[in-house]
Amino acid sequence: MRRKGDLVKDVVTYVLIAIFLVLFLFPIYWTFITSIKIPADTFTSKFLPFIQFQPTVKTWISQLQAAENFKAILNSLLIGLSSAALATFLGSMAGYALARFQFRRFFKNADIISWFLSLRIMPPIALALPFYALILFFGLIDTHPAVILIHTAFFLPYAVLVSRDAFKAVPVEIEESALVDGCSRLQVFFRVALPLIAPALAAIYIIIFAFSWNEFLFAFVLTNRVATTMPVYIAGTVTTVGVLFDILSVRGILAIIPPIVLGLLVQRYIISGLTMGAVKG
Amino acid sequence: MGQDRIKFFFILPAVIYILALVIFPLATALYTSLTDARFGGTLANFVGIRNYMMPFGDYRFYNSVYVTLLFVVLAVPIELALGLLLALLVSRNIKGQGIIRSLLIIPLFVSPIAFALMGQVIFYEGGGGINGILKDLGLPTLRWRSDPTTAIFTVVLADVWMWTPFAFLITLAGLNALPKDIVEAARIDGASDAQMFRHVTLPLLTPTLLTILFFRIIDTLRLFEIPFTLLGGGGPGITTETLTVYIYKIGFRGFFFGQAAAVSFIYLAMVSAILSVLLYRVRKYYV
Repeated sequence: MRRKGDLVKDVVTYVLIAIFLVLFLFPIYWTFITSIKIPADTFTSKFLPFIQFQPTVKTWISQLQAAENFKAILNSLLIGLSSAALATFLGSMAGYALARFQFRRFFKNADIISWFLSLRIMPPIALALPFYALILFFGLIDTHPAVILIHTAFFLPYAVLVSRDAFKAVPVEIEESALVDGCSRLQVFFRVALPLIAPALAAIYIIIFAFSWNEFLFAFVLTNRVATTMPVYIAGTVTTVGVLFDILSVRGILAIIPPIVLGLLVQRYIISGLTMGAVKG
Repeated sequence: MGQDRIKFFFILPAVIYILALVIFPLATALYTSLTDARFGGTLANFVGIRNYMMPFGDYRFYNSVYVTLLFVVLAVPIELALGLLLALLVSRNIKGQGIIRSLLIIPLFVSPIAFALMGQVIFYEGGGGINGILKDLGLPTLRWRSDPTTAIFTVVLADVWMWTPFAFLITLAGLNALPKDIVEAARIDGASDAQMFRHVTLPLLTPTLLTILFFRIIDTLRLFEIPFTLLGGGGPGITTETLTVYIYKIGFRGFFFGQAAAVSFIYLAMVSAILSVLLYRVRKYYV
């Protein structure tokens, strides 16, 4: 049933949405077109490639061949893939325990859950120094294991909380009948329970990878040359290349593409991920 | 039966991991905060609560508390309001809803540090970026990163850009989950759009909005990357020096580990206090 004035409202809606889209995509668009400008054009406000300025892929080609970019990307990949694997594995085990068993002595399930939740709310800066001292003590400063260990620790509570929700959402009957058939708890966990929440597990893995890829403070404090991740590397770019905006822009785009692609891929899980399960998507 | 013991096998690895890598270092830091430990320094001496008194005699501590709270007060309401407006627009029966939603949440996945890098280009005060566009339009240009007052709004702008999509996404989920029968009933009773919003949508959406408020306050209290990189360590001067930047500088520029640990715990106590007040206020909507 259409009412009078609906057309006007529709037009206003579309116009407002269009304005917001332009505003929210502007920084990324601007960075992208800057990456395909010749250096002299980067100081102009030309924004239409081919019409206002002649685009070039020169900077892209030279930057993609630069060993330092590769090193940062490889470091970030290695650290992200490893810490996501560790956190997802340890987290799903704990999540399973919290979803399927009752803890009674000392701590109840609710206590353990709020403990993990409070860790998730902990401000990173309060942990930067303790982490640094720990890694210094083990002589691991500026190594990959250092960042992997710390990222796993920091994102583990997230994996616990979200996997617990996922286990809660699948029926226990299948697991029970497997137990009756003589499977051990471990077999049930690996062969029945984990496959049942496979999509959620994949999402947890991907989201933690993106978290790790984007994490700055810990990586910055724990590394300086060898194990620097993408965020640490691009933060340094500002001082090393100055106002070579074409180079800055290429590196900026390189840094944001993986998390954007992955994030959009697991959109369905983003909401409960961002709010630690407080809001269901 | 022995079945029940296996629950410890499942939960202990994660618990022990956190105890060893988070809780133990935190406890050590608590001890460090009572010493005059410095990086590379010789033995640290026990100095009692001296480090905890230090910030209260430092004007930069008060400044950083003020700056941090200022960003919360300036940025969070804008993010909530814009997010709500966007969600209301997109939840109307429009074409391409899925694509619009996907495009609008893209900034969510951009790390603050990457935005700080892109900001070098966008907020450049010579030609190009926003100033170039302003000049083309015949408008006055702004000193985004070098003028103290403008710099505060640059940080707010960056935060709004990065986090309005969060408010939008969660509000949209909340709108989609509104009980259909109540909305229908109000429509049939002839409620106008404004009445619907004021008396139906807004009250039903309150828990969702409070959840967003909670998470946005947590995150804004730890604002670090934008002031730290885009504004060159909380500059100009200390106009955008948030508490996290202040703590970072004591710990990793001055290497006063004892002091930095002490200020970290003061900060932790402040955050906890703010959060427990919030949680207390929010709770009644969930019970």
